[in-house]
Amino acid sequence: MQKTASSSTLGPDGLNIAQSFFKPIHNTSPPPTTTRNTKISVVGVGNVGMAIAQTILTQSLADEIALVDVNGDKLRGEMLDLQHAAAFLPRTKISASVDFSSTVGSDLVIVTAGARQIVGESRLNLLQRNVALFSKVVPPLAAASPECILLVVSNPVDVLTYVAWKLSGFPSNRVIGSGTNLDSSRFRFLIADHLDLNAQDVQAYIVGEHGDSSVALWSSISVGGVPILSFLERQQIAYEKQTLEKIHKEVVEGAYEVIKLKGYTSWAIGYSAASLARAILRDQRSIHPVSVLAKGFYGIDGGEPFLSLPAQLGRSGVLGVTNVHLTEDEENQLRESAKTILELQTQLGI
Amino acid sequence: MQKISASSLALGPDGLNIAQSFFKPIHGALPPPPTTRNTKISVIGVGNVGMAIAQTILTQDLADEIALVDVNPDKLRGEMLDLQHAAAFLPRTTISASVDHSCTVGSDLVIVTAGARQLPGESRLNLLQRNVSLFSKIIPPLSAGSPETVMMIVSNPVDILTYVAWKLSGLPANRVIGSGTNLDSSRFRFLIADHLDVNAHDVQAYIMGEHGDSSVALWSSISVGGVPILSFLDRQQIAYEKQTLENIHKEVVQGAYEVIGLKGYTSWAIGYSVSNLARTILRDQRKVHPVSVLAKGFYGINGGEVFLSLPTQLGRSGVMGVTSLHLTEDESQQLQKSAMTILEVQSELGI
Repeated sequence: MQKTASSSTLGPDGLNIAQSFFKPIHNTSPPPTTTRNTKISVVGVGNVGMAIAQTILTQSLADEIALVDVNGDKLRGEMLDLQHAAAFLPRTKISASVDFSSTVGSDLVIVTAGARQIVGESRLNLLQRNVALFSKVVPPLAAASPECILLVVSNPVDVLTYVAWKLSGFPSNRVIGSGTNLDSSRFRFLIADHLDLNAQDVQAYIVGEHGDSSVALWSSISVGGVPILSFLERQQIAYEKQTLEKIHKEVVEGAYEVIKLKGYTSWAIGYSAASLARAILRDQRSIHPVSVLAKGFYGIDGGEPFLSLPAQLGRSGVLGVTNVHLTEDEENQLRESAKTILELQTQLGI
Repeated sequence: MQKISASSLALGPDGLNIAQSFFKPIHGALPPPPTTRNTKISVIGVGNVGMAIAQTILTQDLADEIALVDVNPDKLRGEMLDLQHAAAFLPRTTISASVDHSCTVGSDLVIVTAGARQLPGESRLNLLQRNVSLFSKIIPPLSAGSPETVMMIVSNPVDILTYVAWKLSGLPANRVIGSGTNLDSSRFRFLIADHLDVNAHDVQAYIMGEHGDSSVALWSSISVGGVPILSFLDRQQIAYEKQTLENIHKEVVQGAYEVIGLKGYTSWAIGYSVSNLARTILRDQRKVHPVSVLAKGFYGINGGEVFLSLPTQLGRSGVMGVTSLHLTEDESQQLQKSAMTILEVQSELGI
């Protein structure tokens, strides 16, 4: 049990101002035991975990943030670096522990722990390393916060979300993977940049595996309410399927490119996860492409794969999956994506 | 001119060119005026500090345009893309990058973080020589490209480097500011607030002077919710020793070194600190911050042109003025000693 350390120069061993600084008024009662404190725990304080924690802090999404990592020094350093900004932020309690003691009673637990994707390594290659880690990490997290929502970010995210679901014993609506939320943002950025437009006006989903077999739902892309493909047809702008695939490929390559250039990605996934945290904790009931239990949707019936679908998120987690119309081609691609994931899952024996 | 572009190759004239007819202009439209009230911030150096600053500024929606500069083009492009990819989660902000100063032209605020990182055990003054020659290369083109800008120096040792930047830039002294002890003061306020279980915003406490070992904690001016701390202790008859106060101050100075020792560098806190200063300046907030300014003529500091942290009112034009705090004789002497420490090193530079 290794919690935060307050200053020792202030307090009973040093200068103890606190003892008489504030005087209580008459007839007070102690605060209620059930407070509406919003608590988020972030497991893993690497580049991704800290980008998420810091964005959550800046956006004032939680009253309490707990950090967990195996490396005690790094953990304490990161905790202090956030606490030192106290004068510039709304008051947020920041705690840390190398075990799971600091995570007790979390509303949302974000898991980023795991080996980092190395240059050239596909997400699926990380798998075995991370499954063993999850067996140690997920059960105590679930025990410490039995009502929490679990958000898995570690890669390969779809399979690991399935693993976390099995290990936690949670209902499937409370275990979500960050999935293609970020891929979709990259997709929307590319289109918005080309059109000189705000990315928030671009409605575009990438679904399926967060990885090489993801599916771009071209038939549902619309900009300011204008469906793109029918717009092209009306304007008689010719396009080839090949061109669309190239654009999609650029999105998939996006992550690998950033990893090659700066060694890892952090900021974008930080904003992506914070956006999901807000949707869940503030019961926004907004639709996000995230990794959920996809069994029963779009003809995905063989097994229990997790993969990204446009899902409505709120305080209880996954409220439902939207009924987007897919072309036959898109449905086939999605089922291929599901098969890719299921193949891996079966090899795990969970 | 080496601009780093992120435009997609697959979308556009060589690929799928949707843009050509997507939006139709209305009748009688005029092109936009050349002088727009676009707020532009440039960040020089995309290391941990520079990126924490850039990202916090982006999250807090302080600028319409952010330009990034660094010598390493791969790292630079990677960081630019990583921010751009978050477009769906943020208000629209233009993010550009270049290895030279070309993308910084027309900035309202230029934040300089470039320079060697402070190694564990290395005092800030030891970094100096490495960073002075770097500044000679980067500062003049920055001020030439943005002659109306406010320039903020974060690189350490910040007080001397702010002086150096002032001399090299040709900018007036009110538009060259060092991040100084703004963060030290935050660490100080955090320690006191944590002990009192109170919000750090309610703790008014300044650390002044050198951003370093000779900084001065102004105990006589610390108040919490309007209650001056030292007179509170006297009234409550809570005994305290000068040594105890010095230990608390020491813990603040050690704060940075401790984080460096644990995680290798500091980033998040300085990111919030500088973003906080950026907001005060660009939104003309007229708030008082302890930052490094030209201190000549204040508090008995007369022997030369030295930059060090004083409680300063900041606004859109940069430094509006320095507040007139009452210092005890002891605090006054410590501050003058701090000034002399800095001046000694400055005179060896020959700028």
